Amino acid sequence: MGGSNMTIHLKIWRQEGPEAEGRFETYTLDQVNEHMSFLEMLDVLNEQLVTEGKLPVEFDYDCREGICGSCNMVINGKAHGPKRLTAVCQLHMRNYSDGDTIVIEPARAAAFPVIRDLVVDRSAFDRIIEAGGYVSVKTGSAPEANTLPVDQFNANKAFDYATCIGCGACVAACPNSSASLFTGAKIAHLNKLPQGQPERKNRVLAMVEQMEKEGFGDCSNFAECEAVCPVGISISAIAEMRRDYMKAMFDDN
Amino acid sequence: MKLDSKVPSGPLESKWEKHLNEINLLAPNNKRKHHVLVVGTGLAGASAAASLAELGYNVTSFCIQDSARRAHSIAAQGGINAAKNYPNDGDTIRRLFNDTIKGGDYRSREANVYRLAQVSNEIIDQAVAQGVPFAREYSGLLDNRSFGGAQVSRTFYARGQTGQQLLLGAYQAMMRMIHAGKIDYQPRKEMLDLVVVDGKARGIITRDLVSGKIERWSGDAVVLCTGGYGNVFYLSTNAKNSNVTAAWRCHKRGAAFANPCYVQIHPTCIPVSGDYQSKLTLMSESLRNDGRVWVPKKKGDERNPNDIPEEERYYYLEERYPSFGNLVPRDVASRNAKMVTDDGMGIGPTGRAVYLDFRDAIDRDGKEAIKAKYGNLFDMYENITGDNPYEQPMRIFPAVHYTMGGLWVDYNLMSNIPGLFVAGEANFSDHGANRLGASALMQGLADGYFVIPYTIGDYIAGNDLAAVSTDDEAFGEAADASAKQLDKLLNVKGDRSVIDFHRELGKIMWDKVGIARNREGLEQAIEEIRSLREEFWKNVRVPGEAGYYNKYLEFAHRVADYFELAELMALDALQRNESCGCHLRDEYQTEDGEAVRNDEEFSFVAAWEYKGLNGKLEAELHKEDLEFEFVELKQRSYK
Amino acid sequence: MPSLVEAATSQVGRKLLTGITGLLLLFFLFFHLAGNLTIFGGEHAMNIYSMTLHDLGWPLWIARIGLALVFIIHAWVGISIWWRRRKARPENYHVYSSKGEPSRQSLSSRSMAITGIILLIFLVFHINTFALGDTGTVLIDGREVSDLKTLVIETFQNPLYAFGYAIIMLLLAAHLGHGIWSSFVSLTMKSRKCSDLMYTIGATVAILLALGFLFIPLYIYFTGGCGAMIAGSQCV
Ligand SMILES: Cc1cc2nc3c(=O)[nH]c(=O)nc-3n(C[C@H](O)[C@H](O)[C@H](O)COP(=O)(O)OP(=O)(O)OC[C@H]3O[C@@H](n4cnc5c(N)ncnc54)[C@H](O)[C@@H]3O)c2cc1C
Ligand code: HEM
Ligand code: FES
Repeated sequence: MGGSNMTIHLKIWRQEGPEAEGRFETYTLDQVNEHMSFLEMLDVLNEQLVTEGKLPVEFDYDCREGICGSCNMVINGKAHGPKRLTAVCQLHMRNYSDGDTIVIEPARAAAFPVIRDLVVDRSAFDRIIEAGGYVSVKTGSAPEANTLPVDQFNANKAFDYATCIGCGACVAACPNSSASLFTGAKIAHLNKLPQGQPERKNRVLAMVEQMEKEGFGDCSNFAECEAVCPVGISISAIAEMRRDYMKAMFDDN
Repeated sequence: MKLDSKVPSGPLESKWEKHLNEINLLAPNNKRKHHVLVVGTGLAGASAAASLAELGYNVTSFCIQDSARRAHSIAAQGGINAAKNYPNDGDTIRRLFNDTIKGGDYRSREANVYRLAQVSNEIIDQAVAQGVPFAREYSGLLDNRSFGGAQVSRTFYARGQTGQQLLLGAYQAMMRMIHAGKIDYQPRKEMLDLVVVDGKARGIITRDLVSGKIERWSGDAVVLCTGGYGNVFYLSTNAKNSNVTAAWRCHKRGAAFANPCYVQIHPTCIPVSGDYQSKLTLMSESLRNDGRVWVPKKKGDERNPNDIPEEERYYYLEERYPSFGNLVPRDVASRNAKMVTDDGMGIGPTGRAVYLDFRDAIDRDGKEAIKAKYGNLFDMYENITGDNPYEQPMRIFPAVHYTMGGLWVDYNLMSNIPGLFVAGEANFSDHGANRLGASALMQGLADGYFVIPYTIGDYIAGNDLAAVSTDDEAFGEAADASAKQLDKLLNVKGDRSVIDFHRELGKIMWDKVGIARNREGLEQAIEEIRSLREEFWKNVRVPGEAGYYNKYLEFAHRVADYFELAELMALDALQRNESCGCHLRDEYQTEDGEAVRNDEEFSFVAAWEYKGLNGKLEAELHKEDLEFEFVELKQRSYK
Repeated sequence: MPSLVEAATSQVGRKLLTGITGLLLLFFLFFHLAGNLTIFGGEHAMNIYSMTLHDLGWPLWIARIGLALVFIIHAWVGISIWWRRRKARPENYHVYSSKGEPSRQSLSSRSMAITGIILLIFLVFHINTFALGDTGTVLIDGREVSDLKTLVIETFQNPLYAFGYAIIMLLLAAHLGHGIWSSFVSLTMKSRKCSDLMYTIGATVAILLALGFLFIPLYIYFTGGCGAMIAGSQCV
């Protein structure tokens, strides 16, 4: 139905579990419609595999709208594929041409062990938030919403950081497997707002410590994370985190 | 089955307070002794889990996704309503209540809706205190907009990502309580059954989606926050993991399912482009403020839309509804799109789309002005379709969006199984036959932050809940049943894939239990669903095994449940001989296509009791009569 | 609250350390270059400069020890970051590529550890050659001072030294091409505009600095030590 069809060769990482040896397998699809999303192309592959009595390729997804952050894979060496500001679920096959070979690997990081095929365990992110990525306000104890004005500039800045979808592409793409952009974004979101002030010191110290405990690498300022972030979070989040960390250490007020 | 809504007596305005004054309280040291299982981490589940844990209960929280933050609520765009009246345009709790009752076409419970409007303001306070970055004015104070045709500006929003920001707020509150050791967090666990002991909900059975292990969990109460069932249509705007399984299994254990036929269909989604389509993307309703909806008058007109002259275009909404035009409510817009495409005037390769044209708006206001308003949406459209909406009219079509039906609950949000509470989209409670824009987020958070925490205390304090071990017979039976069902699916070893079955089921539902329904179609649908279900169990092919991560297996048992729910939806639509809200029966409309409600006979909640399944679904209808003491019932008109 | 040591060795602390020490080393290099350029000064300029430095006595030792410490910290932290990165990604991608703008991945940024380690090894040779090297003496205003200038001129007659140094200086340019900008980010520069500007400035400074350094050996080599820019030199 509309749109031209193409042949696509796929080389996909298959791995049965965290400890299992992985390997590439190659497949060819010859009815790939340009209007398909990338994940729909994988759906078609899976239907084909199931018909052939083989095991489908496992990958994470949920919203398929670029907001839930479930999807995450590395396509021809780029997290979420070739298009900037686009999660892989929002990537369409019209970005490829007939005859292309596409190599797909899971996000690789010690802190994200492979569960199966392209599915990885990102629970480390939850634990980083758990360490301090919140405002400790009990249900029911909040003051009237408009008693706390927030200047538009800071509200907007905080928002830019708050849009993180937690997909882990930053970690996947970083040559060091650093989670600094993810961690920095949450710290910057909350620390930019008046609501975040009472806990700002503890937040940055605890979250940075947890990030390290999880086995993520250091940040070497490659800024690759910003380039692959589907919502374009800037590495200034990382600078904010460092600044806050220093303040927490040296500022007595 | 007894359906007691437990609505407190007295004036509408003070029912909730009166109830709070009268319910049982549980001392803090006693709360610590009790365990609550919260299933789902969307707005309803995350807010309930966090709030209950803050009160001192021990909570276990489950979700399907790898993180609580990814629940379907994350995708909500437009905003959340509250009766703050910040813009000083005359909004009140009463007005929000009126609009919600009227929007629901008088098929919801007054007392519940009023309470929703009452707590709406607290939700905003709570979210702001958590650091949810709502839009603000230059003054630094909160901004509001008018949404979905409301006459007041009462919608709070966070760019086009309100659901995301609210969910992150609730998720973070939950993470805090995990840190405090009060929540045992169990992501990637899917609830497969409810365990009922001595008539009370005392536990659940889950499957670990990574290891495949069937696990048993016991508690003093279960809070089900598992979202809506729109995916019964296969294609919908819901996230792919949204499902009815948890709710349906509770239904099979005795919980009444209310109003299953009420499904909201959103008029402005990106149309299906081919068979491979896996989900539909919503385009904000605000586009209808400037876009004009039309189809070519000539059937099968394949000309480029820009070459079709004015007089050959059919601006059907403007012609049929001169006063509201393109801004008619969601259900009216959706229904009309179906009518024109059924008449063969649909456009595009599938014939299942209409144009939403910005040509005139661009001529009038300039491209820049339109870009400023809708730039993001236009980009998103172009990214998905490859077409440039500044030059070509957009193609849109309605898509299933929200399900008003769900498990029946009383005023305490407890189902008819004591100890089983249901919150958020999973219950039927507040939206009647149609939900207003920006009200689902409000309801999910109202339930989780401000209703369940009190009413659960009342239940636990008022009942003797001796500890139940997971070795109890009831757990064994439920766990075995779950394991057997999975085995059964894996052992069919047929040759049609799950997705193929689901797609076909979706087509039946869309064609016959979708935007407009009629007796003949519904009866056919029931037959078709039954025979497809039979084929499913004979011929489905589920790859792999149950002992590891296996997405096809997950989908297979969800689809199996959809096959049963689908029949109930058709039965419900068939029994409701009227048109109300999103439920349009062709037989019940005026000459010029206006819905006709029948308050005499159908002013009730249809609560279905599961009676068994053998070839056909056995279900018994119970009616909870709706009494309207405080509002006057009116027929809607948008002419 | 972490202790100061814990903070300094945290992920944030480590980057603050590389940033600070990197910049300190950069300042040292400016100073060093200025010193080197005295070779183009008057006949005795370089040797006077060297003598003045040596005459400082204990302050010179403090500076030397400080500098060594800075080097050690910088190298140690840098290598530890590189080491952790291998632990953080035990299995590499089979296909990997940068997504481009606004990424700062480049040959320069990806090879920081390698260029750094080469610089470290070079340093040992460098100290051995010049600081501990056998200099003759020369009389300046009746005082016998070590004749560093001649040693330099002689050393760079050797093509191995001349070109070797030049290549190392290119590696230094590579190290600093990313490094200068990076240290500002490590030290929490966050504005986008500053960042872009800083990148250009950083890379330019890196190149100029390296050119400054490599000009000397190449000039000496190609002029056989008797170029016009070197006052009072006698061709060897
Ligand atoms: C595209 C889109 C836009 C929308 N925009 C708006 C808007 O602007 N304003 C508005 O008010 N509403 C909007 N809605 C509606 C609103 O988002 C939803 O109704 C609401 O978020 C539902 O929240 P919930 O907590 O009930 O369930 P969900 O968010 O659906 O969460 C369900 C949870 O249950 C879990 N779960 C489900 N089944 C199981 C199981 N068997 N075992 C374990 N866990 C399970 C899931 O993992 C998930 O955590 C929109 C909906 C869509 C689709
Ligand atoms: C000649 C002197 C040197 C100078 C002027 C210098 C300068 C710098 C600068 C400015 C940075 C950027 C700091 C940051 O990103 O915060 C840097 C980073 C680095 N330097 Fe050096 N450096 C020198 C020598 C060395 C040596 C001897 C080594 C070690 C072996 C080394 C290893 C590194 C590494 C690995 C990094 C990257 C750190 C990271 O990845 O975050 N450098 N250097
Ligand atoms: S599937 Fe939700 S972001 Fe891609």
